[in-house]
Amino acid sequence: MPKTITIHRQESVRAAAESCVHFGFCTAVCPTYVLDGEELDSPRGRIALAREMLDSNDAPSPAAVRHLDRCLSCLSCETTCAAGVSYHAIIDGAREHIEKAKVRPLTQRLLRTALARLLTTPTLLRPAAAMGRLLRGALGRLGGPLGALASLSAAPALAALAPRTVAAPQPPANPTRRVALLDGCAQSVLGAEINASATRLLTRVGIEVVSVPGVQCCGALELHMGRREAATRHMEQAVRSWSAALEAGHIDSIISTTSGCGSVIKRYEELLSDRPALSAQVRRVVEATQDITQIAAGLPLTATGAALRLAVAYHDSCSLKHGLKIERPPRRALGKLGIEVRDIAESHLCCGSAGTYNILEPAISDRLGQRKAAHASASQPDVIAAGNMGCLVQISRYTPVPVAHTVQLLDWATGGPPPRGLDNFQPPPPLAADAPTPAATPVPTTAGSGDLLW
Amino acid sequence: MPSNDPIVDFANAAAAELGADAITLGEDVLGRYGEHTLPGADVRPGAVAYPDSTEAVQTLVRLANRFRVQLYPISNGQNIGLGTRSPIRPGQVVVDMGRRMNRILEVNETLGYCVLEPGVSFRAMHDELRRRESKLMISPTAGPSQGSILANALDKGGGSGAYADHFGMSCGMEVVLGNGDVIRTGDGSLTGSSHPNWHVSKYSFGPTLDGLFSQSNFGIVTRMGMWLMPRPPHIEPFFFTFPDDEDLGEIVERIRPLKLSNFVPTLVRATNDLYLLSSAATHPEYAANGGRRALSDEGRAALRRQYGLGSWTVSGAVYGASRAAVQPQIDRIAQHFLASGKGRQIPMEEAEDIGPLHIAINSNTGVPTDSELKMLGWRPGGGAIWLSAGSPVAGDIVNALQAQARRICQDHGLEYLLSNVCGARFARAIHAIIYNREDPDEAARADACYRALGKLFADRGIFVGRAPTMYHGFHQAQRMPEVVRACASVKSALDPNGVIAPGKYGIE
Repeated sequence: MPKTITIHRQESVRAAAESCVHFGFCTAVCPTYVLDGEELDSPRGRIALAREMLDSNDAPSPAAVRHLDRCLSCLSCETTCAAGVSYHAIIDGAREHIEKAKVRPLTQRLLRTALARLLTTPTLLRPAAAMGRLLRGALGRLGGPLGALASLSAAPALAALAPRTVAAPQPPANPTRRVALLDGCAQSVLGAEINASATRLLTRVGIEVVSVPGVQCCGALELHMGRREAATRHMEQAVRSWSAALEAGHIDSIISTTSGCGSVIKRYEELLSDRPALSAQVRRVVEATQDITQIAAGLPLTATGAALRLAVAYHDSCSLKHGLKIERPPRRALGKLGIEVRDIAESHLCCGSAGTYNILEPAISDRLGQRKAAHASASQPDVIAAGNMGCLVQISRYTPVPVAHTVQLLDWATGGPPPRGLDNFQPPPPLAADAPTPAATPVPTTAGSGDLLW
Repeated sequence: MPSNDPIVDFANAAAAELGADAITLGEDVLGRYGEHTLPGADVRPGAVAYPDSTEAVQTLVRLANRFRVQLYPISNGQNIGLGTRSPIRPGQVVVDMGRRMNRILEVNETLGYCVLEPGVSFRAMHDELRRRESKLMISPTAGPSQGSILANALDKGGGSGAYADHFGMSCGMEVVLGNGDVIRTGDGSLTGSSHPNWHVSKYSFGPTLDGLFSQSNFGIVTRMGMWLMPRPPHIEPFFFTFPDDEDLGEIVERIRPLKLSNFVPTLVRATNDLYLLSSAATHPEYAANGGRRALSDEGRAALRRQYGLGSWTVSGAVYGASRAAVQPQIDRIAQHFLASGKGRQIPMEEAEDIGPLHIAINSNTGVPTDSELKMLGWRPGGGAIWLSAGSPVAGDIVNALQAQARRICQDHGLEYLLSNVCGARFARAIHAIIYNREDPDEAARADACYRALGKLFADRGIFVGRAPTMYHGFHQAQRMPEVVRACASVKSALDPNGVIAPGKYGIE
């Protein structure tokens, strides 16, 4: 069988796989290994499978396909790896190899093609989502990926994140900055309220949100499905559009509210390294991209008191925690506005959403979703927050606690409408008049209970 | 039908009694469990068992006696640099308790203790206390966060904070002996089912047996009590850094009164440049010299400049009602450490921007971390050996040892990575030997380096604490023969057929 992925990339994937020295820290933090203790469902096992597969002239084995498919690409392993193994390069390369080898049954290939097309094309996704709602009952009885789609279409978060009928705010008269708001292709259809909140928030502090034409998709979803060529096309398209807007001074930043996309954009230099003609534009885009929580703490936001002492169970999306290594900024931004942020157990483990994972691997995803929702709900918070829509949709399927994107809470706390499910929230009274406020002392070192008697 | 292989017969019998998923002979699994980071061949187990209860462990011990199979119990198998989860000898059956015996059996908020199974990790316990909104905190290690609390204590590991003496903070065990008996130590030994003092008193009737089960192979501990400290309202970490290698003597002299008086409640660490910086950087000259030489003085100096750290960095923390309340203590400590005019205080705001110092910030505030283990990537090839010696907290002794040990490492073409973890009277000297395990020459040098360091310390009357599995025999041979015989006598009394990890800590 001929080698099916670009030679230099194959070499870099192999080099990454070779750098695994089997310390084994990754197994204990890998969601699939934690669930079932199956060696081949651990990062170490998958690296061995990928190495074997790439070194072989044979078609990928069914076992290799099965175990590599079960990886969530959460990159928890990469965070804990002491040898600095680039697991993301290995799993992306392995998936590209499998995809190009066309070893999956025809029905699976058709399904994957349809999903990739649908989820990255808002004009198709919009009617498909409406049809899915109508056919939910019939699809649900089918089980498998179609059943999972039906189940997802009933996720409470989708209703909570649907757009409101109110008009977008007028742009500021004298904007201090102009930014593009990264509108994830699926999020723009299924979670439009997220960017509406972001727009309100930014406008409130004098930042104008500018629409950049020509950006359809960042390529993340297709990349994780092994569809490298389609992903690259989308990446190139996005880079050209954003770069032109940056160069022309129409925008100074690209702000992301969907960390699944943001974490891939931050890898563009590596992903588009075989497009040297684009390198300057790619670097410009990468340097200009930030998650909304990275800038939020520095914005001149004033709390209205509406969300004061709101108890938030904060879920670290894998793309934020492991992909972008952003953990403190969302907590700081919420904390500065008087919101009480509670960490949840097993914060390093994925919720099971993972792009199309909860459609293609519904059984494992279901178990992870239940586990995450139980942890997130355990402290009886007012709301569960995260920085990625996919996580919110997934978690909302397994808990009655309302969910909200971090930016919705920031918007609400500074004058926007409450996220759905929090309309009746009333700020609780403070613990005691003389208790120190959490913001008065460093977050990591001082307990917020106000108990001075130990 | 019996086979000719006792391991297979043992595995079949175990599967019949405990279920098929309680044991495996899978090739992939055995290969993985045999891996470690020490300069020797992998040590492949004969099987891996996954008990789910004390009764299941008892069954495995009974079957091991019947089939004359040797067991090697582990908890979470995160003993990196000390043997990982590989057995002492090939063919021993790894009893992996971390997989299914990972329950938190009790958290007593009032009396400040918890009761744990072997698989409860620092991360899991931390998360559970958060979930309960507990006022208690754990004493984490500097990593790995998925390591077992129980196993760390039994192996005399240390942590951070005021409860850093983990074995000292353990109280009351349940143990399956090699003869198949299950015993409860301490006040748990009273007949009956109610034992309110089991995990609060170490001084019950008769001998204190708990110590027998630390760093030994006399039994398999299946549950244990651990004391937990109430979380102070405020924890303020502190850092000081000193420029020269020889400053260690004065640093240690200054640490001692702070600890003897308990002015500083946490352990105080005096960590050298490369021990800290290896968690943030890789060996900058490795490619050029092929790993044959230790990092040059110029290379070390450049790294120190890059991170704003000196040759030694002191870390610890104080407790109080608020930041303002502890500031006078911090000022007093700063005055004390800076009296010589050589050191520099690193304010918290600056420390938060220095990646390698996050380890101390997190662990001193009770948050498990994995950051320190990034040091394992200092050289390529995945080799790591931990050597835990120590000395009295006396500047002249500590300084002389560091100079000699540093020379030994350099003579073997390896970097000197040392963290002194100081209590009131004893300073544990944790040496990390990081090397390329895939390079036979470098691995041989690492092995020789460990043995030379072990001899250096022994020649000066200093014994090691925790030791890597492949050196257990080496260290046991350094002991007076009467103690070796005494250990063997205890072993034969409690484990007459020698089914539990023969060779562990040199005990046959």
